[in-house]
Amino acid sequence: MSHETYSPALDLGAAPVPTGRTLRMRQNLPYQAFRFVAFSLRMFRMVLKRHV
Amino acid sequence: MADVVILGAGVAGHTAALHLNRLLPSGHTVTVVSPNSWWNWIPSNIWVGVGKMPREAVVFELPPVYAAKGIRFRQARAVAIRPEGDAESPRGAVDIVRTDADHKGEVERIHYDYLINATGPRLRFDLTPGLGPDNGHTVSVCTVDHAVQAAARLRETIERLREGLPQTLVVGMGHGRCTCEGAAFEYVFNVDHELREAGVRDRARLVYLTNEARLGDFGVDGLTFDHRGFQTSSELWTSSLYRERGVEAIVGAHVHRVDPGVISYETLDGDRQELDFDFAMLMPPFGGASLHAFDGEGADITSQLFAPNGFMRVDADYFPKPYEQWRGTDWPSTYQALGHRNIFAVGIAFAPPHQISRPRASPIGTVIAPSAPRTGMPSGVMGKTAALTITDRIKHGDDRPAHQASMARMGAATVASAGTGLRRGSAATMTMMPVVPDYRTYPTGRDLADTRGEIGLSGHWAKVLMHHLFMYKAKGRPGWHLIPE
Repeated sequence: MSHETYSPALDLGAAPVPTGRTLRMRQNLPYQAFRFVAFSLRMFRMVLKRHV
Repeated sequence: MADVVILGAGVAGHTAALHLNRLLPSGHTVTVVSPNSWWNWIPSNIWVGVGKMPREAVVFELPPVYAAKGIRFRQARAVAIRPEGDAESPRGAVDIVRTDADHKGEVERIHYDYLINATGPRLRFDLTPGLGPDNGHTVSVCTVDHAVQAAARLRETIERLREGLPQTLVVGMGHGRCTCEGAAFEYVFNVDHELREAGVRDRARLVYLTNEARLGDFGVDGLTFDHRGFQTSSELWTSSLYRERGVEAIVGAHVHRVDPGVISYETLDGDRQELDFDFAMLMPPFGGASLHAFDGEGADITSQLFAPNGFMRVDADYFPKPYEQWRGTDWPSTYQALGHRNIFAVGIAFAPPHQISRPRASPIGTVIAPSAPRTGMPSGVMGKTAALTITDRIKHGDDRPAHQASMARMGAATVASAGTGLRRGSAATMTMMPVVPDYRTYPTGRDLADTRGEIGLSGHWAKVLMHHLFMYKAKGRPGWHLIPE
């Protein structure tokens, strides 16, 4: 298949790129365990706000 | 004794059936009508679509579950609603056509006291020539069988990459009015993950082609997050992810047609472009189920009950108004059909008053604007809300007020997870509160405390947990009702 077709893809050159530390924290087990608890509590709060 | 009929056994319809069965005293009947005999946890179709999960892990047969609980089941497609009944009975009725092997094609009429329309979407691949796995050249993950096909095609593409052939993979939306951008967003990063695992990412061009005017719109007009003391847009947040993973993005696109290996599309600035591809997963636009409605005399009243796109009119404000005048109060809260206290439409089946994203069109008038998403968590909540209203009215009288659950007051979560296992997965997780922005209450449209976006392994755990919790709940196992919608 040809790869010469012009397509106006977005220029993402200005988008922030994560640092090495950020990438490591995304896989860091203790930190991610903390984030998991925080996410779960946020979901619980959202469910309570629905009043159904 | 009352008879409740539910059309559809997706998230909304099945949730309503389980709650009605739990809450109604014995003697009342709950009947579910669905053209398929299985239940599908659709969010996990993404994993099926890359071959990371087998079909059996995301579906189960409904008849044994319903038999154990005393819920009646008809494997059938609903074709007509008769709110005023027929010549033989003034009770409402639905006409159904059986789809199970033993009774295929048989027509039946079921009378009801209360009706829930939870028919879900009709996948309108036909609106874009060449779109779709059946009569077109693209794959889909909208149904579990589509996802199985998509996984097979992806494996073939990866094999060609291993042989050294460069390949272009396109993921996104197959029409300017599609919805479910979150699913395409999740699928593109799952494909990226698979290509990296196979060691062929450097030979693959991966393109996200979307009708969103900006990345991170997700059909909800984008989100604003509080990120370390700064208000950050979902556009910036998602752009970072696309750049990091080397995924190209084409935004504001309406796909006109798909020919073998070529996608023709128009962008919001009016350009007509072509994009070559070797593998394409493009979502179809959704329409309402093909239901007709008739009054007691047999006259066609379809246009009274349904919008032209096939979705049922409910307690929303459908008066046309410009984007600047859209309000959360335009959105329905009871899902009660117009003029019918005993009919409800929930999940994708109800007609939204308008989009959530700002409406846009190209210079020649092609509408390119995501339709409003109303799947997942909101669908389940709507199903339960209708069940609670019907239960109240059956137990305490038809004059009881309806329960309420507006998308302008409820939150939702989107977890785009890639990979498997507890150590190697990753996910982009977004929560929003409310789904429909409320700029009068919140300067950014939503509550910053509950509107968040983050990337990491914990989101993957959340998605795995949700998969197991919702499968457990849908099977009606002990304590299922304690798991929130």
